[in-house]
Amino acid sequence: MKNLNTRTLSAQDLALLAKELDAVRARAMADVGEKDARYIRRVVALVRYSAFAGRALLMLSFFPPAWVLGTLLLALSKIVENMEVAHNVMHGQYDWMGDPSLNGQTYEWDLVGTSDNWRTSHNFMHHTYTNIKGMDDDVGYGVLRLFPEQRWKPHYLFQPVYAVIFALLFQWGIAIQELRLGQLFSGKKSKEKFAEEFAPVKRKMRQQVFKDYFFFPLLAGPFLLPVLAGNFVANGIRNIWTYSIIFCGHFTRDAEIFPKSVLKDESRGHWYMRQIKGSSNLEGGKLLNLLSGNLSHQIEHHLFPDVPAWRYAEMSKEVRAICDRHGLHYNTGSFMKQASQVTWRILRYAFPSKTPSAHLNEFRAESTAG
Amino acid sequence: MSTVPPNQATSFLLDAVISADAFDFWARKVHPLWSCKKPLAQIVSKHPESEDAVTLVLKPNRHVSAFIAGQHVNVSVEIDGRQHSRSYSPRYLANNHIAITVKRIEGGKVSTWLCNQSQRGNIVQLNDPFGEMTLKEHPNHAVFLAAGSGITPFLSLIQAHAKTGQRMTLLYWVRDDASACFTEALTQLAQANPAFRLHLLMTEPKDGIASDRIHLAQIQALVPDLVHTHWYACGPEGFVSTAAALAKQLSRPFLGEAFSLPELAANPGEHVQIHLLKSRKTLSVPSGEPLLSALENAGIQPAHGCRRGICNTCACPKNSGTTRNILTQEEQHEAVSGLRLCISAACSDLTLDL
Repeated sequence: MKNLNTRTLSAQDLALLAKELDAVRARAMADVGEKDARYIRRVVALVRYSAFAGRALLMLSFFPPAWVLGTLLLALSKIVENMEVAHNVMHGQYDWMGDPSLNGQTYEWDLVGTSDNWRTSHNFMHHTYTNIKGMDDDVGYGVLRLFPEQRWKPHYLFQPVYAVIFALLFQWGIAIQELRLGQLFSGKKSKEKFAEEFAPVKRKMRQQVFKDYFFFPLLAGPFLLPVLAGNFVANGIRNIWTYSIIFCGHFTRDAEIFPKSVLKDESRGHWYMRQIKGSSNLEGGKLLNLLSGNLSHQIEHHLFPDVPAWRYAEMSKEVRAICDRHGLHYNTGSFMKQASQVTWRILRYAFPSKTPSAHLNEFRAESTAG
Repeated sequence: MSTVPPNQATSFLLDAVISADAFDFWARKVHPLWSCKKPLAQIVSKHPESEDAVTLVLKPNRHVSAFIAGQHVNVSVEIDGRQHSRSYSPRYLANNHIAITVKRIEGGKVSTWLCNQSQRGNIVQLNDPFGEMTLKEHPNHAVFLAAGSGITPFLSLIQAHAKTGQRMTLLYWVRDDASACFTEALTQLAQANPAFRLHLLMTEPKDGIASDRIHLAQIQALVPDLVHTHWYACGPEGFVSTAAALAKQLSRPFLGEAFSLPELAANPGEHVQIHLLKSRKTLSVPSGEPLLSALENAGIQPAHGCRRGICNTCACPKNSGTTRNILTQEEQHEAVSGLRLCISAACSDLTLDL
C-alpha cells in the first residue's frame, strides 16, 4: 500500500540517501573488533548454559516448577541460538573474526531446516528482493495473502486458521520452503530432483527429531514423558516467537510491497529506500533486542545485513534522522501495535479487496502476464 | 561434518546430539587444550632470544600434526577479535614440546603480539606444516646459508643433520651481536660436534671488522671443498636469490626459502594470478575488476546470489593476497574466512579456497 507519509524521491535524492547510509555503515564497520567478538561469544555462552540448565531441570520434572523453568530456559536457549546467533552469523556478520565456529557459510543451526536452504531463501532472495511480489517468498510464504496486491483466491478465506497452524509449525515451514512443493505437485519438478533436494533436509529433520524426542527423553529414564513434553513446548514457543518477529518485520500496516518492475536498473539508493519502506521496527528495549536477534531493528538489519546486529540500536538514531531528512516514513512501534497490525492484515486480506492505485498498472501487467 | 565418517550411524547420532562447536565450548572449560579437532597449543614459557626476538615454548594437543626439520607452520592467534596467521619454523624440544622463535617486525601485528603481549597460558592454533626445505637424502656436506631471522628453520635442520655424523657448515649473516639468535646453542653444537663449522658474519658489528654480504669469493674462502656440498638458504628475498644464483654458477644442489614480502598492489587492469585450491586451477584475471565476474569470464562458476554484497552467498575463504572492497575501497591484506567475490577486486596474486 502506498504510504502517504512518504514522499517520492528523485534519482538525485536517492544517490544522496545511499551516500549517507553508506557513511553510517562505514563508521560502524570501522569500529568492529574485539567488542563484537566478546559480545557474540557471550551470547553463545548464554545459549550453551541455558540449554544445559534447561535440559538438566527437565530431568528433574518430578518437581513441577522444575519442568516449567526447564522448558522456559530451553525455549530461551533455542530462541537466542536461532535469532541472535544463527541468523546473524549466517549473514556473515562475524566472518571477519576468522573463527570457524562463527562462519556464515558453514554454521548449522538448531532447526529442522538446513542452514544451506536458509542461506538461499533468506540471505539471497528475501534480502535482495525484499517485499517484491513474486520474488520474495517471505511475502506470505506462498500460503498467506497479506497485501491487496496479491490476487485473491477462495482458499484465502481459511487463512486466519492456517496462519495459526503455520505459526505453531513455523520451523517445519521454513524447512520445506526452499523445496518448493508446489512445483512438485504441479509437475514442474521431477520426483528425482525433489528426492535429491530433500535428502539433506530429511537428514537434518531426523537429527533434530532424534535429539529432542528420542535422545534426551530416553536419557531421562522414568521422566521420559515430561522431558518429551518440555522439548515439544520449547520448540513450540520458539516457533511462535520467530514467526511473530518475522511477520512484525515486514507485514505491518505501513509496510509496502513492490512489483518486479522496480528491479530494472535499480540503484543502490532505491534498494536502500525499498528496504526502509518494506521493513518495520519494534520498540521494546534491550531484552527484546536480544530475543529478536536485534530484528527489533528490522530496518537497520535490511540496510546493513552484514553489520554485527547488536550495533543496530546505536545506528538506528542516525538512520532515523536520515529518514526524517529525506521525508521517508520510519516505521516503528511497540510489539503489541505492530503485531495487531499484522493480525489485521491476516484477517482483512482473507477477504477480497481492490488492488490499490499506487502500483496498479505494474501489478496488473504482471497478473495478466503471469 | 560432511566428510564420510568411519561409522555413519554414529556420526549421524553424535552430530544430532552435540555439535563439534558445542563440544569444544564445554571441553575448553575443563582443559584449555581440549578440542574435537582443532590443533591447539598452549604457551608454557617465553624467553628472549636476542634484542628483538623471543622463543616461545608450546605444549601441543593431539591434533597438532607432526612436522619434519626445516618445515614451517602457520601459527594463528586472535588479536582484537580477529584471527591472524603467520608462518614460523617450529622445532621439537625434549618433552615433545614445540619451540618457535619469533623476530619482532616493525609494524608486524602477529610478531609484535607474540613478542610483547602473549603470556604463559595463552592458546594459539598450529596449522598443518608445509615447506620443501627439508633434508632430502643426507648430503655428505650440507651448507646452510642464513640471513637474519632466516636462521629459524636451520636450528632443527642442523640438529637433525648432526645425527648423521656428516659434515655441515653454517654461514649466518646478522647485523650485529645483539640481533643474532641462538648464538649459545649454536656455539655449543659446534664445540660438541667437530663435523659442524659455524661462521657468524656481522655486517654492522659494534666493534671489529664488518663482514661482506653474501658473494662468491666469501663462500669459497669459508667453505673448503665446495664440490660435494648441498646448499640450503633462508632469509630475505634478495639474499635467497643471490644464494640460488651462486649455487647455479657452481652447479650445486640448492633449496631455498625466502620470507614472503607484502605483495605490491598491481595497477588496475594489470593481470594477476588467482590460485583456486579446491578446483586446482590457476587463472589470470585483470586486477581491479569484481572477482565474481572476473572468475565467470575465465570460465569458473562460483556460487553467487545478489551480486552486490548483500547475501554472502559468494563468500569464500581467501588464504593469501590483497583484495580491495569495491564499495568501501578498503584494502584487505590478511587471510579471511569469507571474502565476498562480488564486491572484491584483486590487487595482487590471490589464493582462494574455491
